[in-house]
Amino acid sequence: MKFRNLTESGPLSGGAWVITLIAVISGVIVITRPAAQRQGMAFWTFTRHHARMYASQIDRWNAGGYLPVDLQVIDAAAMVRRTLAGFWAQTPTADMIEVERGAIGRFVACPLDDVGFVDLTNVLARDGIVEQINPPSFSPWRSRGHVFGLPHDVHPVVLCYRADLVEGIGVDVGRIQTWDDFSRVMGPLIRDLDDDGRPDRYLLNLWYTDTNAINTLILQAGGGTFDANGNSLVACEANARVVATVVSWCVGPDRIAIDAPEFSPSGNKLRLDGRVIASLMPDWLAGVWMNDLPQLGGKLKLMPLPAWEPGGRRTSVWGGTMIGFPKDAQHFDQSWAFATHLYLSAQLAEELFETNHIISPVVALWDEPFYDQPNTYFSGQHSGRVFIDQAPFVPERTSSPFRGAALSRIGEAVNALRRFAESRGIHAADALLPEARRQLASANNRLTSEIQRNVFLAEPAP
Amino acid sequence: MTHRAGHYAWAPYIFVAPFVLTFLTFTGYPIVLSVQMAFQQNAGPRVAEYVGLQNFAWMLEDPDFWKAIRNTLVFAAASVLIQLPAALGLAMLLNNRIVRAPAVWRMIFFAPVLVGLPFVAVLAGLIFEKNTGLLNVTLHAWLGFDPEFPWLQEYIMLALIIAAFWMYVGFNMVYFLAALQNVRPELLEAAAVDGARAWHRFIHVTIPAIRPVTTFVVFLSLIGSFQLFELPYLLLNNSGGPDNQGLTVVMYLYQQGFDRGDLGYASAVGWVVALVLLGFAVIQRMIGRGDEERT
Repeated sequence: MKFRNLTESGPLSGGAWVITLIAVISGVIVITRPAAQRQGMAFWTFTRHHARMYASQIDRWNAGGYLPVDLQVIDAAAMVRRTLAGFWAQTPTADMIEVERGAIGRFVACPLDDVGFVDLTNVLARDGIVEQINPPSFSPWRSRGHVFGLPHDVHPVVLCYRADLVEGIGVDVGRIQTWDDFSRVMGPLIRDLDDDGRPDRYLLNLWYTDTNAINTLILQAGGGTFDANGNSLVACEANARVVATVVSWCVGPDRIAIDAPEFSPSGNKLRLDGRVIASLMPDWLAGVWMNDLPQLGGKLKLMPLPAWEPGGRRTSVWGGTMIGFPKDAQHFDQSWAFATHLYLSAQLAEELFETNHIISPVVALWDEPFYDQPNTYFSGQHSGRVFIDQAPFVPERTSSPFRGAALSRIGEAVNALRRFAESRGIHAADALLPEARRQLASANNRLTSEIQRNVFLAEPAP
Repeated sequence: MTHRAGHYAWAPYIFVAPFVLTFLTFTGYPIVLSVQMAFQQNAGPRVAEYVGLQNFAWMLEDPDFWKAIRNTLVFAAASVLIQLPAALGLAMLLNNRIVRAPAVWRMIFFAPVLVGLPFVAVLAGLIFEKNTGLLNVTLHAWLGFDPEFPWLQEYIMLALIIAAFWMYVGFNMVYFLAALQNVRPELLEAAAVDGARAWHRFIHVTIPAIRPVTTFVVFLSLIGSFQLFELPYLLLNNSGGPDNQGLTVVMYLYQQGFDRGDLGYASAVGWVVALVLLGFAVIQRMIGRGDEERT
């Protein structure tokens, strides 16, 4: 009955007609209105630290009559998703996008032609930038022989230690050349601080679950996840040795490691309480500590990493950033001019070091005097020079799309070895080595299956 | 009159058109597309290659998938066997006259639902920290417990179950409380008059009376368990945690589809999860129908 009444009065009531009319008018307006025109070049970065550093450079650039740069700070995870979504759906992203090391694998996990960033290999060679930048800095952004980003940094890793505690008991760090020396010489610093029968202070901030730190040590030892040709290194001997040693550091009576995660209140409390003697420290982390842990000022010093064998590499690498240029961006030439102007400038290098303690990848700038200033935070050391001395020796890395999977598999191998060590009561690195090899071989088999399953990434490296 | 009615016979279609169009565009089409994608391998949505049943074969082969299934089942079992009985117990307490200010207690138990999952996950992360976390510090001070007990390194599922218990026990309690308040008092009184003790009244009167709600809550928990994502995702810093101990089926799907870009494989996983959930729904329907027939 109601339905009949409704049809008698027409299909829509007066109110419904008004709503329909509004919907039609607004729809027409939205469809016919031209899309907002972007002013200048959009530049996305994922950290406010970078944005602050770039602000003055961008102001100068924009005042110089060039195509203006519009800098936007977007949360790292959101930026990765937005960029990927843009690449996938072919919708606009930005003219320049800063990409963090951990995310690059996701952008190159496709056939080379479908990578959303411009292949910079020839441009870098054409403009002589290949010769200007520390060679290992290109490696994280290289996939199958093609470079997809302009490097922002080097990120050498050194060892940061509590000089007040170490020197307080008369330990001479000059005697430490290898990790074995480190354990032996620093050993007396392991202490039970609250007399509960358990040690509270340990020598090294590292844990078997910290895949990034383990990867840093693996790279230092000459291992890694993939070589330059994309061949898996997961089961290599260097990896096995590091994995066995890390587990020996974390379990058993000779344990030297403690889990004090960076960027966490709990980790920072352990550091402030003097329960961590030494930490692996990339240059960017030095900047983070200087900002976040001022209480440790004057109590710390830096030294090269202990080597894995006498005369071995005394540094490693951790983290990294690049600028990538989306293929669908409209102003590549201007973006490239701005990016090279920004990343290669001495002013930015100084600002990068002053504000974040990050050293420039431009080799010619390493002689700049600001790197030789004494740093009161690190007990008056020339902390910039400590990092620069190691910069030429940082290991090469890979941007394989399977890097994340490889690190996961290595992490599983470390965990399995840790369980083996605890269940069998075997704690010495040498004794754990055969099982480490076995676990890594198993991890490598799994990784190989994953790689073989991928039908898109069979392109051989040049 | 007849002419006018015929003229406007299409009116109902206009009314349902917005829903139908929206449904077809945002639900129907993606569902059909996901069936097609389940037989493809993708590198993002635009790069795809038909791989037949390989996605399903790989799923059976991939230890991570089985780990995700196992973790999800453990979580689901804990939800049903620990969380729901506890929720029922709390509801019975609050339904009892001996408890003063039941509204206050109800609010306290329900509060985690109000503040939201991200907040609970962040708090749980701080509570379960080694060395400095509230739980370890308290247990160490009171019981000499190991202050380095690795909740979020080696006992991740236990930590997730505890966090989810805190989050959802009050939520389920509200369902049970509503059901208990609908149990006819004359039935309980009659049973008492007939000499039934409290336990027997609970087993033979209360439980049958709240059975439809219990069935509903059980299947809600099971389905919710299979959709578990935000809590481990936030608690474990966007990952499955060490050794993928906190990896759930939906996290696995997310990692494959959105971290690795293989939307085809993620679709295949999605269909397997959907079929499992459909199975639960069918069982619930059958049990529900049995209840209706008995009633």
